[in-house]
Amino acid sequence: MYLNPIVKKDVKTQARSMKICWGVFVYELILALVFFLAINIIQSTSRYSTSNIYSAMVWLYPVLAVTQLIILGLVVPVRTASSISGEKERQTFDIMMTTSMSPFSIIAGKVMTAVVQGMFFVVASMPVMALSFIIGGMSWAYLFWFLGIALLVSFFSASIGILCSSLCKKSISAVIMSYAFYLLFFLGTVLPTVLYEVVKSNLEYTLGTLPRFYEVYGDNFYLPLLLNPAVYLAEFFARIMVGESLVNHLVDHPSMSWQSQTSQVRGPIVLVTSGYWWLIFATLLFAGISFLFLWIASRRIDPIRGRRSKGSRR
Amino acid sequence: MLYINQLFKNYGKFQAVGNLTLHIPRGDLFGFVGPNGAGKTTTIRMICGLMLPDRGSITINGVDALARRKEIKKQIGYVPDFFGVYDNLKVREYMDFYGSMYRMSARDIRQVSDDLLELVNLSDKKEAFVDTLSRGMKQRLCVARALIHNPALLILDEPNSGLDPRARVEMKELLLNLKSMGKTIVISSHILSELSEMCNSIGIMNRGSLVAAGRIEDVMEGVFGSNQLVITLDEGRETALRIASEHVKVKVDSAGEHEIRLSHNMTKPEIAGLVGEMIAGGVVVTGFHKQEGDLETLFMRVTGDGNQ
Repeated sequence: MYLNPIVKKDVKTQARSMKICWGVFVYELILALVFFLAINIIQSTSRYSTSNIYSAMVWLYPVLAVTQLIILGLVVPVRTASSISGEKERQTFDIMMTTSMSPFSIIAGKVMTAVVQGMFFVVASMPVMALSFIIGGMSWAYLFWFLGIALLVSFFSASIGILCSSLCKKSISAVIMSYAFYLLFFLGTVLPTVLYEVVKSNLEYTLGTLPRFYEVYGDNFYLPLLLNPAVYLAEFFARIMVGESLVNHLVDHPSMSWQSQTSQVRGPIVLVTSGYWWLIFATLLFAGISFLFLWIASRRIDPIRGRRSKGSRR
Repeated sequence: MLYINQLFKNYGKFQAVGNLTLHIPRGDLFGFVGPNGAGKTTTIRMICGLMLPDRGSITINGVDALARRKEIKKQIGYVPDFFGVYDNLKVREYMDFYGSMYRMSARDIRQVSDDLLELVNLSDKKEAFVDTLSRGMKQRLCVARALIHNPALLILDEPNSGLDPRARVEMKELLLNLKSMGKTIVISSHILSELSEMCNSIGIMNRGSLVAAGRIEDVMEGVFGSNQLVITLDEGRETALRIASEHVKVKVDSAGEHEIRLSHNMTKPEIAGLVGEMIAGGVVVTGFHKQEGDLETLFMRVTGDGNQ
């Protein structure tokens, strides 16, 4: 089986470095601290409750899972953001580009390395994570769901990092740009929704009622939230922990269904907020955007890109 | 082997390479010389597919290097002027890594890298970490790495920069060894004395243009062909001076007791004819030779105008 040589080399060199040991140590330390903090909160709240403390332990699952996803979201882009710019700084990039590997394979290799490293941290944390399953009695299937989400978060974060790495000459600029990109996804996607709600409130206040367009299509302004990682994770854990959709509550159409003919709301929001479609669409969107970033990055690093359009054989 | 035809590259308004046309035959060890900023590295980067020319074409082994890059990458081994190595990677693993980047099988990589490490005299360093090697060893390792996929053309950009004299000698021996194996090698360097010992052809670049190119002897002949002809003699000084001054292609520069120096633009047979005429006229000619030039003098002469 062909294994991307960059993954093989990078994983090998990282495994020999003390950095990885310290990385795992700090990762586990943070998780342990969060674990003890969560246990403490569960204990103190259960003292005045009649419910079984063990059932409350299931909340360790989202707490630990979200903590890990946040760490992955912060660490993985740093790894990839410094990968291409790091090769350039180390003066190994030119040699790499003269080999038979395509720019996309090089980019994919760098991303895969970061994802593998991220998943290494996640797997190393399994003993801590398993406590919520053993004590809280959660289904083991959720563990695999978490692994899937962790994989997606790592891939998405890595793709942001690699895109920035291909755009910047210096690693530090690439890292800063990666976090700016993240901020764009967290805040930029909320902006249309906030603007919509402000305009909606003003219209309701001034007109007393909403224009027909707003009533029918207005909720589609929630669609950009499909690209909001926080909303995505909140929806995922709400589904698992309480069995309800957070997005439906947010959009304020809890009973809305795409088959429903009674609701007057129209547009893609009807489909997206029914069943598990929000999660499915968001997953596909994040994966698609990640691949798009990889493609752009591979174009960016290709020194001969756009040869035909430049008409260099005049 | 390597054909470059009317290659142009501009950086904004600055012309880095202008109308460069060059042919390097198979098996040649071609020295690419020129002052800093002459356009050598830009040309090399364009050959290696690391830079897009504004105009022109590059053909390697009959394949368009700009249109069929994937194919061309297998034909080129590139050693850049500055290069880094990876920490925590052993020499053997370094070769494995680059071998697998050319999609070679593990068995082929092992076999070829063993041979190459022996060639570059690093067999005993297989298990050493790359970053622990000396600069000269790293340079030789980089040459071995560039040869892992058996390229038809090896391109080295300033391979001797930063090397101590011993490492330079080792590098020279390695390149001569590769030349004897029939590899086509393009080497850019500032150390002209070494190039003149290694290369059989050269190209001199100045301000983005190729000012002289070809077999070293031919280039030397072209530049130094009209150099002074020094004739040493025992008797017949006056006769010799008369014969020389009567010749339309000759100007007497100086005349000593037993040596006369002539500027000329004669061909080799014409020189022989002139000397023959002197001997026939009774001049006792004890020797004659052209004032020889070396690569450094040649370089200074052909790049002199541009640098003034």
